[in-house]
Formats: sequence, structure tokens, C-alpha cells
Amino acid sequence: MSAVTATIAEDKMEARTKPATPNEGARLGFRLTLPAQILVLFISAFPLLMQLYISVTDWSPLSGIGWWNAWEMWNSFANYTDLAADTRFWSALQRTAIVMLVCVPAEFLLGLALATLFADDFPGKRIFYSILLMPMMVVPAVAGYMFFMLFQSGGPVNDILSRIVGGPVTIAWLSDPTLALIAVMVADIWQWTPLMFLILLAGLVGVPEDQMKAATLLGANAWQRFTTIVLPKMKTIIIIALAIRVIENFKIFDTLYIMTGGGPGVATETISVYIYKVTTQDLIWGYVAAIALAILIVLSIVAVYAMKRMAKGREVPV
Amino acid sequence: MSAIHLKNLTKSFGDFAALKTMDLEIADGEFMALLGPSGCGKSTTMNMIAGMEEPTSGRILFGERDMAGVPMGRRGVGFVFQNYAIFTHMTVRQNLAYGPKMRGAAKAEIDRRVGAIAEMLQLSPLLDRKADRLSVNILQRVAIGRSAIMEPAIFLLDEPLSNVDAAFRAVMRTELKQLQRQFRQTMVYVTHDQLEAMTMADRIAVMDHGVLQQVGTPLEVYNNPANVFVARFIGAPGMNLLKGMPAESDRGLVVDLGPLGVTPPLPDELAPAVRAARGDVLYGFRPEQVTLAERGLSMPVSFVERIGARTIVHLGEGEGAVKAVFENDVGSSVGQIAVVAPPASSVRVFDAATGLAVKAG
Repeated sequence: MSAVTATIAEDKMEARTKPATPNEGARLGFRLTLPAQILVLFISAFPLLMQLYISVTDWSPLSGIGWWNAWEMWNSFANYTDLAADTRFWSALQRTAIVMLVCVPAEFLLGLALATLFADDFPGKRIFYSILLMPMMVVPAVAGYMFFMLFQSGGPVNDILSRIVGGPVTIAWLSDPTLALIAVMVADIWQWTPLMFLILLAGLVGVPEDQMKAATLLGANAWQRFTTIVLPKMKTIIIIALAIRVIENFKIFDTLYIMTGGGPGVATETISVYIYKVTTQDLIWGYVAAIALAILIVLSIVAVYAMKRMAKGREVPV
Repeated sequence: MSAIHLKNLTKSFGDFAALKTMDLEIADGEFMALLGPSGCGKSTTMNMIAGMEEPTSGRILFGERDMAGVPMGRRGVGFVFQNYAIFTHMTVRQNLAYGPKMRGAAKAEIDRRVGAIAEMLQLSPLLDRKADRLSVNILQRVAIGRSAIMEPAIFLLDEPLSNVDAAFRAVMRTELKQLQRQFRQTMVYVTHDQLEAMTMADRIAVMDHGVLQQVGTPLEVYNNPANVFVARFIGAPGMNLLKGMPAESDRGLVVDLGPLGVTPPLPDELAPAVRAARGDVLYGFRPEQVTLAERGLSMPVSFVERIGARTIVHLGEGEGAVKAVFENDVGSSVGQIAVVAPPASSVRVFDAATGLAVKAG
């Protein structure tokens, strides 16, 4: 008898040191992460719900009622139907897409070319490496002012061009609709190619050297090695790099706003600039909420797609 | 098929001479093992044959053709890397087809060749498997197949068995040797494992510190090491070497080993050469050839290693230490005095100053 009781007592002792059921462990985990969860809820879920709520009303800070009473101004999804018919919105979206379609591929190709260059050794590599990374460290607003100055009609860009052609060049970069867009894209490419370069270089040095040698021994030339070994091995990292830049570029704002303010007219008005203007100048926040939500959905789709590809890529070790 | 000639080959990395000098003739269709401890220059030699590294000086010829300046992709060399360097993002089929595809072979031709090589290497059922989830023995066969499909005249293997566990290594050794018979190529096999070299190679090139020590068949290298390094390196354990002074006795020329006493007389064919050499010598004999005897070198037993089939008895200490290997168990125990005698025919003598073997007649 006493032996049996001893065993039971021992069992109880053991039970106390370990969580009795998996459920108890989960509950403890929940309690421990609760503060963090509340914080996340406050900074992400709450604004999202608030935005969703306001987006179906005509509420604005000038309405004279608190946002929580915005239901009084319920407009039965008029913001969303307005959005569908808002030509300024659609042209801003189109412009954003154009900027993205030019900038991201340009940054990718330049970054890849530079990464390929830096994967091998050459004299002065470290110095060039540091110089190359510098644009990324410049505050975007400062970069905006820098390019604003560079592209003045009497500025250094025209000055250099005039030396090349041997006559005076007075191109009004920032007041011509097309040239302004080009100038803005140049600034973005300048600032963000280094990030692309850095990510792609990390991927490039991760390509196993012996597999490259094996490919060479099997008769693959440099281009074949690049397409059959390097690119497939870098697929995951390329998707990450592109996803980061697509999302970031979609939100292009600071550099651009300082350079052109979205102008001349609306020539460089991207989606972020448009939202900013509607928010600060027109003050129709219900509408702003609707626009922002629409964009959030688009970007989320991109992000989810990229993350899926990343997860898929992770199954295959390099 | 192709013979390989290495002529006055050297290679330096900055101040470090990885390969001091190398002259080696590898015959057409021969299986040559480059054997040596790590850092001996064997891999450097192989990389130069493959064209991955340029020699600092000297020449490499495949048959009559000088390979200087010929890039590695055009040398017609098959190379199996130590870790196989399989393209992990491809299937087995894509790996095998890689070479022909890069050289622009037609689809039907590629399929035919992949099918044939897969059949030969028993890879057919695995052709559509992703290469990153295969076991080491299959990876190795894929690596061999990927090179073999190019029908290279020369096959280079860089320690292909070093990642494999001991039991599997034995299987692979047989498999590799059979493959070489099938392909009939010139094979150069780099290894630090003498067992691999001994069992597979037609001839072994023993290397140390960037210098070629000896080239010969496995038995030549084992029985008649050219110098002290080879004597110690080949065999497990290596040859016993005892320092001593040749001395005349009424039974013939013997070696005076100082405190260990005097050896049995040297064989008649060796004696004149030892007399001519003068100076101190190293008296060498294989541990496997030692027998317990009435007369011979009497030494205290310091340690007994019993490893089943064999028993290794360690005798003496320091400079005068000797190992003796016996089939099965032997009645020695630590502290006992054992009298050992190498048969006269198995004795090898080395010049203590130069380390070179003193050759008979």
C-alpha cells in the first residue's frame, strides 16, 4: 500500500513541475504575450478598424463631431463608388505604376550588375563598396533637396550637359511634365539601387562556388552559368528584393514631394502625394480612408504572394 | 583516352610553395592515386590538371597536347568534387543532362545519353527526383554520371569518399573500381586514405610537402618505400624505423642499435650497399612481418591494442619504439619483455642523413 501511495505522490510532484496538459502551456503562453498583443492590437488593428469605419462616412475633421460619431454621416459606400470614378485617383495610380515599372527593374538590373561586379575581387573594392552604399544612408528628404538643386535650370545637371554638347543647355527639368517624372525616377533609382545591390550581393556570394566550377567544367559559359545556376539559386532572394522595392516604391513620397510637390500640375502626382493632398488640403478624411484601404488591399496581395514564394523557396536549401 | 604528363610542375600561392616540383607520367587508361597528408599538394596538382588553377611554372600535357592556357571547360576533363557539387535545384535528370545541354546537343540525343548513363549507374528510377534529397551514395553516382556523360578522356576524383561513413566506403571502393573498368578512362584519384589508394589504384603517387616522394604500384610502395616518409606513411601502422650504426660481425653486416642491441645480420644482397653508404642508418621493417623469436631485439611491452582480428603490440619507447602486428591474439602483456625478430628478407635500410632507401646491389 505505502509503495502505491508513494508512486502517486511522485506522479503529482512531476505534474506540478511540468504543465499538466498542452492546453495549460498554451494558456501560459497567451498570458505572457498579452501585453505585446495589446500593443499590436492598438497600433495596427485599431487604426485599421477606425479607417474602415470612417471610409463609409463623409466624416472630416471639420464636421464638428468626433470620429466615433461618424455613423451619423453614413454615406452608403459613396466613397468607394466615387473612387471608381475619380480620374485623378486613377491617373495617380497609373503614374505610380509607371514609376514602379521603370524604377524597380532599373534598380534590380543595376543592383544585379553591381553585385556581379562586387562578387569578384578588384583593387579598391572596399572603398567603392562604401561609396556605393552611401545613397541609401542619405535621408530621403535630403536626397530630395539634393536632386531639386541638381535639376534646376541653372543647376549642375544642365551645366554638365552643356559642357558635353559644348553650348548652353537650359532644360527646365522640374517644370516639364515628362522631364519632371524622369528626374523623380532618377532620384529614386539613385537612392535605392544600393539596397538592391546589397541584397543581391548577399544572394550572389551564397551561390556555392564548387557548383559554379562544376558547371564550368561541364562546358557552361559565363552566361549559361548565370542563367542555369546563379539565377535559380537566387530566386528566393530576388523575390524578396523585388517585393521590398515594389512595396516601398508604391509608397514613393518624400524625395518626390520635395522635388516637385507632385507638379507641375499633377504630372508627378503619385498615389501617396494624392492622398497627402486630399488629407491636408481637401480634408475629406472619409474619402482618404477609402483610398488608403483600397491601396492597402493591393499591397497586401503583393506581400502575401511574395511571402508564399519565399516560404516555397525555403524548402529548397541552396 | 589520354595520357597525362606533368613536367617540372610547380605552384606557389604568394610565398607559399604548394607544389615544389612534380614530374609525373600517367599512362592512358591508368588509375593513378595521388596520396598524401593534407597540405601535401595533391589537390593543387589535381586542380591544375583540371585547369582550375594555373601552374606557376612547368607544363601539363594531355597526350601530345599542351594544356597551357586551355580553359577548364575545354579540357575534356571529368571532375568529381569532394562534396559532389550536385546542382541541388535540379532533378537528377537535369543534372545528368547539364553538360550535353550546355554544349547544345539535340533533345533526342540528350535523352538517349541520359538514359544510357542512368541505366549504367542504376539511376533510372531516380531520374525525376530533386537532387537535394538524395543520399550520399546516390549523389556520388550522379556526380560521376554527370561527368561521365561527357565521355571525358580523363577523370579526376577529389577525395570522393571522405564524406562517407566507413562501412559505406568499402562498398564505394568496389563500385568505383568497377566503374573505372567500365569507362576505361585515365583516372586521377586524390586521397589521404591509403586504403583507398591501395585497393583501387594501378599506381600510387605518394606526396608530401609539395614534393613527389614515390610513384609505384601499391605493392611496390608498400614493400619498397623509396624513403623514410613513404615508409612511415604507408601501412597502418607504418614501418618501424630504428636508428643505428652498421657494424661488422662474424655473422655478417649487422646494425648496432645502441641500447637495443645488435640486429640480426642484414641480407647479403643489401650488405654491400649499406657498407658503401657509410654513416648512420635507419633499420626498417614492417610491423606485420615481426615474429616473436628466441633471438632478436628484446624490448619491453608498453601497450597492447587488441582489435579483434589483429593485435598491435607497442614495444619500447621514444626513438626506439617499435610496433608489432600479430594475427589474432598474442600472449604479451604490458611490462613483459618480448623478443622480436623481423625476417631478413623484410628488412629495409634507409640512409639516416638523406632519408632515402638504401637499395640492394
